Amino acid sequence: MVKINMPHLDPIEKQIVFKIVYFGPGMSGKTTNLLYIHKALNDRYKGEMLVLDTEKERTLFFDFFPVSLGTVQGYSLKFHLYTIPGQIFYEASRRIILEGADGVVFVADSSADRLDDNTEMFRMMNKNLRNMGIDPSRFPLVLQYNKRDRNPRLEIGEIEKELEIDEIPVTESIATEGKGVMKTLQVVSKVIIRRFQIS
Amino acid sequence: MQLPRREDAEALKDLLSKLVKRSEAVTALLISHEGVCISKAGNVETLNSTALAALVAGMFSATREVANIVGEEKFSILLQQGEKRHIHISLIGQRNMMIVVFEDYRRIGRVRHEARSIGPDILRILESRDKSRKEDAEDISVPEFREYALNLIDRIFVVGED
Repeated sequence: MVKINMPHLDPIEKQIVFKIVYFGPGMSGKTTNLLYIHKALNDRYKGEMLVLDTEKERTLFFDFFPVSLGTVQGYSLKFHLYTIPGQIFYEASRRIILEGADGVVFVADSSADRLDDNTEMFRMMNKNLRNMGIDPSRFPLVLQYNKRDRNPRLEIGEIEKELEIDEIPVTESIATEGKGVMKTLQVVSKVIIRRFQIS
Repeated sequence: MQLPRREDAEALKDLLSKLVKRSEAVTALLISHEGVCISKAGNVETLNSTALAALVAGMFSATREVANIVGEEKFSILLQQGEKRHIHISLIGQRNMMIVVFEDYRRIGRVRHEARSIGPDILRILESRDKSRKEDAEDISVPEFREYALNLIDRIFVVGED
């Protein structure tokens, strides 16, 4: 059975919550994306950011913060943003955080020598989604080519070609400079809003 | 994801309030395993319930993995003992958790008893909502919701940095 993309909706608290997970290989810039978004958003839209990292600033479990966009039809519209730990040995944590996601930003490292890391993590993500009864090809997903300032770097389309996927929304970014970060958030949240169903 | 009906949500809150009163707890929260707060009672103003729900859900899921490693399917109760405040977390069915924050550790027995005694009622309410999802959301018109939401996204997630 394929699961329907359905957010958390609570009539008494009057809120509708969508979960967005920033997925990707280690050091690809997932936390940097979240930190930039948190800094860029006006205070009235954002909650406190949790960063659970190690002494070496590698994400240990997840980073998280809530965004409240405002009221739609009497419901408070919220996005909960999460990152996963990218290091390969945190597979269990990634599975946990991906549960209940309404959409994913796959943050790829554009460095030319990281093609295999990107594709390996992408395949792991798809496997996790399938194990949760989700068809990855119908799931709201945006592929962000981060670190576009790297040389040599991957061409846009190289990751999709390697994975034999197409028709996936793609963005380019340099998260350390904030470039393309809000654009990516905008694209993924729009895909989620356009596809969600209540049934 | 399930949608609680309005009367169910009120019943959940009543049950949590009863638990807080009887066990003299600070607060009680019901959260989904995805980390979203479903209901809360007691002193909820001073706690960041959004962050608490996200963290406890992650913690509980991690504990489930630990249980699997040692040959258990799950651990149904987690207890965190602090200096002044303590947290009792119990699994409600397969998809939800109840968090009770309390101050007097000598009341742990009472907390555990109250949590255990309202658990079945909470589970019954949560399960009944599965059968009636559609009417729960009848006050939302999805096409209009989409239009307004897309507008808010354009306005708030401003792309001006490129």
